[in-house]
Amino acid sequence: MENRPLEYDYTVAKMFMLTTIVLGIVGMTIGVFIAFELAFPGLNTILGSGLAEYTNFSRLRPLHTDSVAFGFTVSGIFATWFYVGQRVLKVSMAESKFLMFVGKLQFWLYVIGVAAAVVTLFMGYTTSKEYAEFEWPIDIAIVIVWVLWGVSIFGLIGIRREKSLYISIWYYIATFLGVAMLYLFNNMEVPTMLATSPAGETNIGDWLHSISMYAGTNDALVQWWYGHNAVAFVFTVPIVAMIYYFLPKESGQAIYSYKLSLLSFWGLMFVYLWAGGHHLLFSTVPDWMQTMGSVFSVVLILPSWGSAINMLLTMKGEWQQVAASPLIKFMILASTFYMFSTLEGPIQAIKSVNAIAHFTDWIVGHVHDGTLGWVGFMIIAALYHMAPRVFKRELYSKSLMAAQFWIQTLGIVLYFTSMWIAGITQGMMWRAHDEFGNLAYSFIDTVDVLHPYYALRGTGGLLYLVGFFMFAYNIYKTMTAGRRVEESELQNASPMGA
Amino acid sequence: MFHWLEKHPFFFAVGVFVVIAFAGLIEIVPNFAQASRPVIGTTPYSTLEIAGRQAYIKNSCNACHSQLIRPFKSETDRYGHYSLSGEYAYDRPFLWGSKRTGPDLHRVGNYRTTEWHENHMKDPQAIVPTSIMPGYPWMFTTNADIDTAYAEQLTAAQFFGVPYNKPVPMKDGSTTVVKLGNSIAEAHAMALEEAKAVVANMKDQDVKDAVARGEIPEIVALIAYLNRLK
Amino acid sequence: MNFNEFAAYAYFFLIMFLVIGTYSYIYHLYKNRKDVTGVDYEDYSNMALKDDIDDAPVKSMSDDKEK
Repeated sequence: MENRPLEYDYTVAKMFMLTTIVLGIVGMTIGVFIAFELAFPGLNTILGSGLAEYTNFSRLRPLHTDSVAFGFTVSGIFATWFYVGQRVLKVSMAESKFLMFVGKLQFWLYVIGVAAAVVTLFMGYTTSKEYAEFEWPIDIAIVIVWVLWGVSIFGLIGIRREKSLYISIWYYIATFLGVAMLYLFNNMEVPTMLATSPAGETNIGDWLHSISMYAGTNDALVQWWYGHNAVAFVFTVPIVAMIYYFLPKESGQAIYSYKLSLLSFWGLMFVYLWAGGHHLLFSTVPDWMQTMGSVFSVVLILPSWGSAINMLLTMKGEWQQVAASPLIKFMILASTFYMFSTLEGPIQAIKSVNAIAHFTDWIVGHVHDGTLGWVGFMIIAALYHMAPRVFKRELYSKSLMAAQFWIQTLGIVLYFTSMWIAGITQGMMWRAHDEFGNLAYSFIDTVDVLHPYYALRGTGGLLYLVGFFMFAYNIYKTMTAGRRVEESELQNASPMGA
Repeated sequence: MFHWLEKHPFFFAVGVFVVIAFAGLIEIVPNFAQASRPVIGTTPYSTLEIAGRQAYIKNSCNACHSQLIRPFKSETDRYGHYSLSGEYAYDRPFLWGSKRTGPDLHRVGNYRTTEWHENHMKDPQAIVPTSIMPGYPWMFTTNADIDTAYAEQLTAAQFFGVPYNKPVPMKDGSTTVVKLGNSIAEAHAMALEEAKAVVANMKDQDVKDAVARGEIPEIVALIAYLNRLK
Repeated sequence: MNFNEFAAYAYFFLIMFLVIGTYSYIYHLYKNRKDVTGVDYEDYSNMALKDDIDDAPVKSMSDDKEK
C-alpha cells in the first residue's frame, strides 16, 4: 500500500451508474409505452387479453413514475454522491474499509428493493399514494438503504481533509434529511395482518396489505406535503448539488457568487416545504393552507432563480464553451429548464390558473419539462463527466453526444408544447357553458380533442428515449472501447478537449 | 455563529432539519387536532365495499379518475354537490387523484347503474365508442380478496376507532349500523349476501354462477364500491 | 391558553427568529468578505475546482489540530 499513491475509489459510484442507466431505460420505456396507450388505446392489450392486466395503463403508471424517480434519479443521486463526495471532501473511500462495505451493502439492498418494488407493483400491490406506492416491507427496505446512505455521508464527512463543506455537500445532506423526514411521515401505515377478529383469528388476509395511519383530508394533506417535497428533495435539491459541482468543474469556472449559493440554499430549504398546499387548491383542506401553498409557491421563484442565475452567470465570458462542448450544452439547458419550470410551477399555483390547470395534462407537461429537461439532462451530463474519470478512458463519441442533445431537446419541446395545449384546451372545455347555462361539452368530447396532442407527446417521449439509448451506448462504448487516458490528463481539461 | 455551523456537520444538519421541518409543524399539526369528523350520513365501508375499494386501488383507477369535486358551477353541474371534508372520514388512503384522464367518480353512484358499470368495465368502447379507457375483463374472473378486506375493517375498527357495529346518524334523523363480522366465515357470508344483491342486476352468466357457488368476482365488489360513491 | 392561541404565538416567534436569522446571515456574508479563519467565501469554489486527492485543501482539517 505504501508505494501506491492514494486514489479516489469509484467502485460504488460505478455500480450506481449502472443502475442509473438500466432503470432509466426501464422507466422511460414504460413511460413512452403508456403515453402511446393514451393516444392509441388498442396498445393496452398488446400482449393479448390474457396479459392485459399487466400491460394496461393503470397498472403501469406507478411503475413508470417510481422507476424514473426512485430508480433513475435516486441512482443518479447515489452515483454522483459517491463521486463528488470523495472529491470535495478530499478523502478516498479506499481509506475506510467500513465505508466501502456500507456503500456496497447499500447498493445490493437497493437492487433487492428495486426488484421487490417492480414485482409487487406489477402484481397490483400499491398503497395508491403517488410516489409512495410501495407496501410496508419495501418501505422498511427503503428506510434501511437510506440510513446506510446517511452513514456513508456522515462517515465520509467524519474522515474528511477539507474542513469546510462545499455547497454540493450541503445539498446532499439536505436531500438525505428531507427525504428521510417526508418518507417516514407519509408512509405511516398499519399492516392489516395485525388485527384480530372477535373470534380470535389473527394474520387474516394478505400480509403485504396495510392501511394509512391518516384518513381522508389529513391523508391528502400529508401525501401532498410529501408529494410536492419529494419533487423538492429528489428532483431539485440533489440536482442542484450536482450542477454546483459539475458545471464549474467541467467549464473550469468558479461559481459566479458562492455567497449567493449559500443564501439560496437556506431560502430553498425554508420556502419549499410550504408549497405542497398548491396541489390541494379548491379541495377540502382549510383555506388558509391553500392560500399559504399558493403564496409560498410564488415566493419559491426567488431561491430557485438564485441558484439558476448563479449557474448561468458562472459561464460569464465563457459562452464559447457552450457552442463547443455538448456536455456544457446539457448543463446550460438543464439550468434553463430549471428556471423555466420554476416559473411555470408558481404560475400554475395561482388559484385562478390552477382552477383551469388542475387535473389536466398541463400539470403532466410541467412535471416533464422539469424532469426531462432539468433532472434528466443534469444526470446525463454528470455521468458523461464522470465516465472518462472513473473508467480512465476517453469519451467514445462527442458527435454522438451532440446528436443526442439535439434529439432529446426536440423531444422535450414536443412534449411540453403538446401538453400545454392539451391541458389548457381540456381545462377550458370542462368549464364551458352554452348560452342557456348548460355544460357545452360532455366529458368524452374533451377527451376526443386530445388525440393529436397525445400522439405528439408520445413522439416527444420516444425521441427522448432514443436519445437515452444513444447515451447508454456511448457510455458502454466508453467503458469498453474508449482510448485509455491517465487521470492526470483529465484533471483540468474537459474530456471534450482530450 | 453561522461560521461555526458551517464547520460542524452535525449541528449544520440539525439546523437544516429545523428549517425544513418548520412548514410541516405549522401546516399539518394544527389540522390534525381537529380534522376529519364524518359528516352526517357518511357510514363506514362494508366488507364488500372495502374489497371493491381494494380492487380500485390494485388497478390504480385513481391514476385517471379523481374523487374530488371542486366548488365550481361547471363541476357541480357535471358531477353533483362539491366534496366535503367529512365525507372522506373513513377513507384510508384518500383517493382524490391528481389527474382527470377520465371523469370524476366521487358521486358516480348517483348517475350510473350496476348494469352500466358491468358493460363498461368489460368493454368501455361498447358504451363510449371513442373512450380511451382500457377494459378490465380479468375482474370478471378474478375473485375478490374478502379476507384482506375483512382484515382492513378490523384494523380500522381496532386501531382507529371506526364505528362498526355502532349506530351512525343519517341525514333523515334515523341511525344505521354497519355490521362487522365476528369471524372470517361470518364476514364471507355477509359479503356474499351483499354480492347477491349486486349480481341480481348484472347480466354476465359466469359472474352470476360464481356468486351462486359462493365466490365473489372482483367486478361485483368494485361495483358495490362504485354504487356507494354518492 | 388553547391550542390555537399557542400555535399563533409559536408561529409569530419562530417567524421573528427566522427573519432576524436570515438578515443577520446576509449581513454576516456581505460585511465580512473573509470568514474568521481568513478564507474568502468565494475561494470556497476551489473545493470543487482543485479536488484532486493531492491538491491542498482550501482549509485543511490538520491545520486546526496544529493550533
